[in-house]
Amino acid sequence: MTSPDLIRELTANRPAAPTALRARVREIAAKEAAPQAASFWPKLRLPVRRITLVAVPAAATIAIASAGVLGLARSDSNIAALRADQAEALESFDKAAPQSAPGTLLGAADQNLGPTVRPTLDRAQRISATLTVEVTDSDGVSRAAQKALDLTESLGGHVVTANVATGDQGSAALVVRVPVARVQEAIVQLSALGRIASQQVTIDDLQETLDRLEKRERSVRSQIALVSARLENDSLDATTRAQLESRLRTLRQELRGLRRDTAATNAEARMATIQLTVVTPGVLSAVPVPSRLDRTLDEALNVLVWEGVIALAIAIVAAPFALLLFAAWLGRKLYRRREEDRLLAT
Amino acid sequence: MHAVSLEVPRRSEPAELPFAAVAEDHLDDVYGYLLYLTKNWALAEDLTSETFETALRRWRRFDPRRGTHRAWLLAIARSTALDWFRADARRKRREERSEAGVPDAQEHSFGETFSAELDEGLRALTAGEREVVALRVVLDLDGEETARLLGITVTAVSTRLHRALGKLEERMRDDDVA
Repeated sequence: MTSPDLIRELTANRPAAPTALRARVREIAAKEAAPQAASFWPKLRLPVRRITLVAVPAAATIAIASAGVLGLARSDSNIAALRADQAEALESFDKAAPQSAPGTLLGAADQNLGPTVRPTLDRAQRISATLTVEVTDSDGVSRAAQKALDLTESLGGHVVTANVATGDQGSAALVVRVPVARVQEAIVQLSALGRIASQQVTIDDLQETLDRLEKRERSVRSQIALVSARLENDSLDATTRAQLESRLRTLRQELRGLRRDTAATNAEARMATIQLTVVTPGVLSAVPVPSRLDRTLDEALNVLVWEGVIALAIAIVAAPFALLLFAAWLGRKLYRRREEDRLLAT
Repeated sequence: MHAVSLEVPRRSEPAELPFAAVAEDHLDDVYGYLLYLTKNWALAEDLTSETFETALRRWRRFDPRRGTHRAWLLAIARSTALDWFRADARRKRREERSEAGVPDAQEHSFGETFSAELDEGLRALTAGEREVVALRVVLDLDGEETARLLGITVTAVSTRLHRALGKLEERMRDDDVA
């Protein structure tokens, strides 16, 4: 008998359920309850793969949407806080730096400078001042720069550098030197060119340096006199004379250096250096407030990062348990498969 | 050895058939499958009843998107039979009986119209081999459906079927020679 014959015989003799069994199954089927219209079980039996296909994008969408909503909400609260900070800062700045008025020379300057800064005219001092004033617009920058130059000249000073830029956000940077005796006047009048944004005066004492230079100069002069007197003696031998002449040259050279240094120190003490910066409000404004979109994106990104961190933490904690469960499931499946093979091998 | 091509188009089934109709339609299939698997008609009858009781309990869980009524019932029948085999193996181990397998002292296990040689040949096959013969040849399931039911690949189904038919053929040939 060949396979086709076998198949023919097998299909021709298909087993049919005995009548008794058929009756028994009919009895079982008769127990079927009337269909429940509100049965929810089939609805709960969702395929895992389809759930995953829907759940993963849904979870990602929810995460992104929640980040967007939170970012939007937090951008509002943040900008409110930022504005409050700026208002507070401006208020404190206004209190700290009131508009100076010309004519109240020392008083106004001292008030702006906080602790009294007053040059001591009987001592040599290096005086440096840095001023930043704010004017209303770019034209104001040019006007203020020109006034500063005129003022410097009128006070007997001179300009070291001047850099004036005009445009939407014009600014000017000037470095001028004025006589120390008139530095307070200069500071007050320069401060009056606009609203003071910042002001700093530095005084370094040069008198000690000057005293040291003068003392050394006196010493060198006396040494030169002594050496010159000895050289006038005709009984000196050639070697001693040569040594004394060499010593005299060194002393004279040192004296020249000391005179130069003294003159430079005196010059430094005579003139004060003032760095003046004139700006428009846009340049000095606080950190620009980012746009609402930028703030929302930043906050949303922060929320997303936190969501990612939380998800990662959960994954790290859950991963070992998930692996154990997977291993148990796989082991059970393999065991049952082997058992079935063994049972069906008989 | 001959190739067996028994592919049939999948039947579309009405979505809301009553359980009684489904049971009536597929009773012979379930019984035939269990008979081939157990080679014992009395046991096959018991397991068939048990299968339909289980099926009735699970009836509302049936999802037509995942397969036909027949495949669903045969899967329950297989599970029921395997449970019985396991219980029987445990019982035999407890009783320390050396004899293994299903009691098969009956004559004409698979039907009185079968030749004695074919009946003997089928009884000589393993349960796994008889199972695949029942599903692919007798019940006319396609390779894919059978593979899904048995939890193996289509190739494995084909291999197992050819081996079973080969053994049957050889056995019948030996009987003819004798």
